[in-house]
Amino acid sequence: MNILIVEDNKELAIELKEFLANSGYVCKISNTCESALDEVNSNDYDIMLIDLGLPDGSGYNVLKSVRKNQYKMAVIVVSARGELDDKINGLQLGADDYLTKPFALAELQARLFAIVRRLGGFAQNELELYGFKLQLQDYKVSYNEILLKLTKKEFDIFQYLVLNKNRVITRLQLTEHVWGDVLEVNSDSNFIDVHVKNLRNKLVKHHTIEWFETVRNVGYRIND
Amino acid sequence: MKLKNKLASFNIITKLVLMIILLMAFPYIVKKVIYTNADRNLLEKKEKLTNNLDIKGIKDFLLANDSTEVYGSFSNLHNEFIQLEVSSNQKKIEKNIFFNDKRRIENKTAEFRILQHNFTYNSVNYKFEIGSNVKEIDDLIVLLHYTIIITFLVISIFMFVIDGAYISFLLKPFYKIVETKIRLINEPENFIHIPINSKISEFNDLDMALNEMMHRIKGLFLKEKQFIGNVSHELLTPISVLKNRFENLIQNQYLADTVVDKISDSLLTLDSMKKVIANLLLISKIDNKQYKTDEIIDFQEIIPHLITNLEDRIHEKNISVTQNFKQKAVLYGNKTLIQILISNLLTNAIKYNHKNGSIIISDVFINNSYTLILSNTGLGMNANQVAQIFNRFTRINFEQEGQGIGLAIVDSIANLHQIEIKVTSVMNQVTTFSLRFPNLKS
Repeated sequence: MNILIVEDNKELAIELKEFLANSGYVCKISNTCESALDEVNSNDYDIMLIDLGLPDGSGYNVLKSVRKNQYKMAVIVVSARGELDDKINGLQLGADDYLTKPFALAELQARLFAIVRRLGGFAQNELELYGFKLQLQDYKVSYNEILLKLTKKEFDIFQYLVLNKNRVITRLQLTEHVWGDVLEVNSDSNFIDVHVKNLRNKLVKHHTIEWFETVRNVGYRIND
Repeated sequence: MKLKNKLASFNIITKLVLMIILLMAFPYIVKKVIYTNADRNLLEKKEKLTNNLDIKGIKDFLLANDSTEVYGSFSNLHNEFIQLEVSSNQKKIEKNIFFNDKRRIENKTAEFRILQHNFTYNSVNYKFEIGSNVKEIDDLIVLLHYTIIITFLVISIFMFVIDGAYISFLLKPFYKIVETKIRLINEPENFIHIPINSKISEFNDLDMALNEMMHRIKGLFLKEKQFIGNVSHELLTPISVLKNRFENLIQNQYLADTVVDKISDSLLTLDSMKKVIANLLLISKIDNKQYKTDEIIDFQEIIPHLITNLEDRIHEKNISVTQNFKQKAVLYGNKTLIQILISNLLTNAIKYNHKNGSIIISDVFINNSYTLILSNTGLGMNANQVAQIFNRFTRINFEQEGQGIGLAIVDSIANLHQIEIKVTSVMNQVTTFSLRFPNLKS
């Protein structure tokens, strides 16, 4: 999978590239609208991650001209403004998803996974891990054809950790993913532990889960 | 009170005052005028009679009237009389005296205006009197009085109507400014900049000043919007860099545990920084009215959804939540913002609640206004604390985590929607927030 990162902040672009490269994506960075359009015209990219505020114009312009010529490439719009209008505008112009800065890299990973699934060639409606099958479309987990009774939140946590396997996911990231950004105090993250505890209890009935690791007081990691 | 009405009432009052003054002054003035006139008439008559009077004439006068040495004559209707008599008064007075007195003529007593003239002729003192009946004069006074008052009344009414119409005409451009421009003063983007083109220069000046002011405000408004956009970009981008860098860093398996802990703490710090910025930007955007408030708000859908989202916290404290919606109301607002408002109130209602406490959400109509009432058991607040809760960064209870900005957001959202919030609280008992919505749109 080739990803074009269009981001004028070089430090951020480097962090994104490092993260995505570790996840097995091939990345290239563009810092301006112009170079982004050059890249798109000369190479094949599967996904473009584009910031709206670029030095030589709005990311929307790139999006527009990309949508005129290229139909296959998925586009994730990134913006620091977080305006609802921006979001609607971006999606109307043909963006596949929208992320507000600052976002968690794990969240980006989850969004990318959903896009990759949608792209077709890599159609994947199931994730498998140590015999546990996650059916992504109907939020179900089974082990040896036996259905586990997980709540919606437990499923969300499990899927998020599996998608970001071999990475530490902080409790804060999990909280934000499960509850969204509406609440004033998301750092009140003790509740995530309760859900993780319940999830583990349900999983352990079927298989040992030494791979479901608690990382100090920081978060959790699923090792594969 | 409208200026137009104020001017009209001033108009009425001045005319009434003028009327009262005239009513009081008229009898005196009219009397004065009429008496002066009557006196002049008497004087003329007297001059006519006495000019050619000589001793023979006097004798003729006196003789013609018995030997009482008094001569009297009167008109047929008894409204005038002339009288000449020899006077015992020794004083030589060559003076005309005017006075009112009663005289008996032909067995009838009546009041007369009398001109008395004492004179000496051939060493005899005479007293000459000529009189005119007062009743006639008084009748004239009354007649004149009423005529003037009625005339004045008619003129007053006429003037009032004319004045009113002219004032209305004059104030037309002013009301145009009030109705088409001042109404939009809080919405610089919708302000109408078309000049009103009045013939009165002051109104044109006012209109021009208003247009210029709104033009400036619009500019500032746009600048502030840009500033907010820039601030969010300039502050959130470095936070974004740090956050993602720490997230990458923490994946390194060779890090010492203490380093992992510190990175994790840094991520938490960044998160609260992000939230403060996001919340301040949110307040500023709400206060700048950058949100539309025309979505349909259905609490029977919003509140259960929010409660589900908060069920972990509710279960942890074993709080009983009662939803008691009875009213049907179509409310409009910004759905996202209303969700934030209710969510912040609910979060507080849980955060400051006791174990096994309760939350009751109900609704009622108060004076045609839909009112949502959220009450919860718990710590409660004293009057001082209640007065402060909507201030930014004010925290009532430091044992609970938070930034003290949730209720400031609630306040801004409520202001935007013209929702009136009332808070009552009893320490360690019940705290109630009532949200009174503006009257329903028809």
